[in-house]
Amino acid sequence: MLDRMITHSAFLELVDELAGKRRIIGPVARGERFFYEEVERAGALDLAFNYCVYGPRAFLFPPTETLFTFQQIEGRFAAEAVVEDRPTALVGVHPCDINAIRLLDRVFEKDHPDEHYLSRRRNTLIIGLDCPRPCTDGIFCSDMKTNEATEGFDVMLFPLGAVQEVGASGKGGGGDPQAGPSVRADEPPAAPSQYGVVFGTPTGREWLLYSHKSTVPTAADERALEQYHRSKAAAFRRAIKTPSEDLPALLDRSYDSLLWEATARRCYSCGSCNLSCPTCYCFNIYDELDMTLAAGERKREWDGCQLPKFAEVAGPHNFRAKAASRLRHRIYRKAKWVREQTDLPGCVGCARCDRACTAKISSVEIYNQLAEEA
Amino acid sequence: MSKPKIAIFSLTSCEGCSLAILELEDQLLDILGAVDIVNFREGMTERSWDIDIGFVDGAVSTPTDIEEVEHFRQSSKMLVAIGACACTGGINTLKNYQDETDCRRYVYGEKFEWFPTIPAQPLSNFVKVDAELPGCPMVKEEFLEFVKCALAGKQFRLPENAVCVECKKKDNLCLYEKGIICLGPVTRAGCAAICPSYGSKCEGCRGLVSDEALAAAGVNLREQYDVALEDVLADFRLFGAYQGSELP
Ligand code: SF4
Ligand code: SF4
Ligand code: SF4
Ligand code: SF4
Ligand code: SF4
Repeated sequence: MLDRMITHSAFLELVDELAGKRRIIGPVARGERFFYEEVERAGALDLAFNYCVYGPRAFLFPPTETLFTFQQIEGRFAAEAVVEDRPTALVGVHPCDINAIRLLDRVFEKDHPDEHYLSRRRNTLIIGLDCPRPCTDGIFCSDMKTNEATEGFDVMLFPLGAVQEVGASGKGGGGDPQAGPSVRADEPPAAPSQYGVVFGTPTGREWLLYSHKSTVPTAADERALEQYHRSKAAAFRRAIKTPSEDLPALLDRSYDSLLWEATARRCYSCGSCNLSCPTCYCFNIYDELDMTLAAGERKREWDGCQLPKFAEVAGPHNFRAKAASRLRHRIYRKAKWVREQTDLPGCVGCARCDRACTAKISSVEIYNQLAEEA
Repeated sequence: MSKPKIAIFSLTSCEGCSLAILELEDQLLDILGAVDIVNFREGMTERSWDIDIGFVDGAVSTPTDIEEVEHFRQSSKMLVAIGACACTGGINTLKNYQDETDCRRYVYGEKFEWFPTIPAQPLSNFVKVDAELPGCPMVKEEFLEFVKCALAGKQFRLPENAVCVECKKKDNLCLYEKGIICLGPVTRAGCAAICPSYGSKCEGCRGLVSDEALAAAGVNLREQYDVALEDVLADFRLFGAYQGSELP
């Protein structure tokens, strides 16, 4: 069910108005790829992007941030927390990344609520943009059931215009359910002329409704949405042989597989897989002193379980000293442990890890090879 | 505690690393307030040989360099190699793959016989080195961090991750996506991935991050990529990151 309809240009006008109140982050073309970047005007956004090289996690959980500053004055220690609350809007977030943010929300609010993350999150409006077809080759979001988002956004846009146009001209994946994606997935889709809108939160509803720029959906719009969902379902193909709910059991059987050693001999332990993953949330904490040595900052920075010293503790003892055990650990986290702990997918199938790996280690291949062994 | 006495020496190099210390303009006065610089050719004329921390840039590449580095070692409680030249031999090691006499003739002309030379090598091949601050040039911020650690009595540790970590943090598109073989996955981080951030491949000036990463490079470049291994080897050799005759 659609809540509203809005044209592409009316939507951009709305975002321009929003830019007076919030910093706007969205997809921007840099060379041949798209990246989430801050923009001044909605016109700088490229909402016809295929995928962003990295997810928007850096805007909620920055690569490096100060947690508190501290100083020693006449022998007394004083600290002051640093919490960011800058109003922000993430515009054009695909379902995989919305699902990834849901996981980050769950992780940072449970046990010890992380005010640094949560404050940024509370001040962030998320405007989702659904994917009518796979954004590129190699993704497996439909296997993870994360190519759709049911919550985690304030407003969700369905690019209905794009489907109608593409279907009519016969060049897109939206038109013929039997044909599957016929365009090269790497080509960014044409800019949609209008969006079907679904509200996720009262904040999203209020924002979209206040300006009277959207219209009430007609019966034809609802039919277009149904058609959209049908062609979308046909456009996404299974990449992983094992259904995602059975991956934990598959991994249970695969702990001693020879695959881990055999694959990890290629692994650089460079951590690119972790650091480009929208669901990775590990960090390392350290202090930075200024030259007086009596004042400084406590900071945190992204960490990753494939990095060589990730599991090093006092001693020093490294309980995952070998690349093979670290690779296995990452895959277990993504497809088993996180799901068991949070009831949410630990991997959203965006394949950023696979694309980032200069050793061409592919998580899809790992799952499929394990399925063959089992 | 009295101020630590610091010396800065140069062997075979462009002395860019010792100059990098002078370029720490914003913090230089703080450093000078916290330490005594007792021996620094680039910055002073008076010299003393009672030294707490001796920083050395440059490779050992002549018999005189050997004598000097031994003297630096004996005079310094702690000896720190700064820059690629001192840590891995650096760009000087390129001569190690050429004819020694030709090389000398090229550099010194007619009088080449007056200047004996040996293959360029890191300090650690000759003396015990207490710490290394790699890079060409060394990373100023890392030098500063080292000095702070020394003053605060904290242990200084080099980053043990690959350059890729810093590249990801900077939101860069990986050069492999453009078909460029970058040495980031095998090179020690700490430079803020400056080369990939400006679109150039990492050439490993900070040295190898680990032997395992090097071994993985050997496998990947043979099995996963269609590249001329000699070209990659030449990149590895540029700053002396790896000097073997073949990839492992
Ligand atoms: S990106 Fe690839 S090579 Fe690097 S740590 Fe991950 S699996 Fe290993
Ligand atoms: S594990 Fe890979 S595919 Fe899954 S969410 Fe992370 S980057 Fe995307
Ligand atoms: S490492 Fe580079 S900058 Fe430093 S002395 Fe050697 S050549 Fe010069
Ligand atoms: S460009 Fe180089 S350093 Fe950066 S991620 Fe790619 S391989 Fe690593
Ligand atoms: S990117 Fe590589 S070559 Fe460039 S400064 Fe860093 S370590 Fe040196």
